[in-house]
Amino acid sequence: MMCEFLKTCCTDPMKIIGEWLVLLPAIVLLLAAAASVVMRNLIHAALCLTLSFIALGIVFIALGAEFVGFVQLLVYVGAVAMILVFAILLTRPEQLTKSGTLFSGLGPAGGALAGFASLVVLLAFIFTSPVAKKPLPAPVSAPVAAIGEALMGDYVVALLLIGVLLTAALVGAAVLAMEDKKP
Amino acid sequence: MTLQILLAISAILFAFGLTAVLSRSNAIMILIGIELMLGAANLNFLAFWRFSENPAALVGVLFAIFSIAIAAAEAAVGLAIIILVHRKARSVEVDDTNQLKG
Repeated sequence: MMCEFLKTCCTDPMKIIGEWLVLLPAIVLLLAAAASVVMRNLIHAALCLTLSFIALGIVFIALGAEFVGFVQLLVYVGAVAMILVFAILLTRPEQLTKSGTLFSGLGPAGGALAGFASLVVLLAFIFTSPVAKKPLPAPVSAPVAAIGEALMGDYVVALLLIGVLLTAALVGAAVLAMEDKKP
Repeated sequence: MTLQILLAISAILFAFGLTAVLSRSNAIMILIGIELMLGAANLNFLAFWRFSENPAALVGVLFAIFSIAIAAAEAAVGLAIIILVHRKARSVEVDDTNQLKG
């Protein structure tokens, strides 16, 4: 495998760079996600989650879907992570000496076991399916013009519905979080 | 770079999110786990799009865009609910919201 790697380095270096352009952010993504799940401090967990969102956006850009990568960075990092941090700051426990329990539900062992079991099942399907053994096709591109034409053409109903859903969700969230007005 | 490696990365990310949802007691931590699972699903969509026979149809890309929009709306509503629960019950641990327990 090493000779194959060195041979490809001499003949086609862009292929190695292309592969590591996806794998390196993917490793950062997995490490940041693992850190976010086990962190005791909520703010640290939210910041690790932000790092994993950034890494996921870079993976999307490296896969050829640049628009989705930038949408991920704008929406997840710029909006969802920020609203998460605000909610953490607004829901601090009042007595600073009282710290909540860290684990609940299945507990750390049960949760890890359930996650590991689901991972084993998924990996079994992934590595035994004939569909997934395809080699890498030629580089694809998703130009924004084509995405725009598809959204306004074939997928216009979905676009309008998502507009209605976003409006309803955000108005609803604002109404829910409003202070009760005392008469 | 085979499709298997990308799907395995997305499966590991999904497993992390599932662990967070099932074992953490803070409601915001559970929401973080849900966001990780949604990110794993988006990665799956784009991995299949990258390896598909007709990538010009952009199905995977559009699915991922709609998924990101829905995840943002769901995070906003979920966090509004969490803030409301904190206002009434003074705590966001899921163990403390048990008034309906028999």
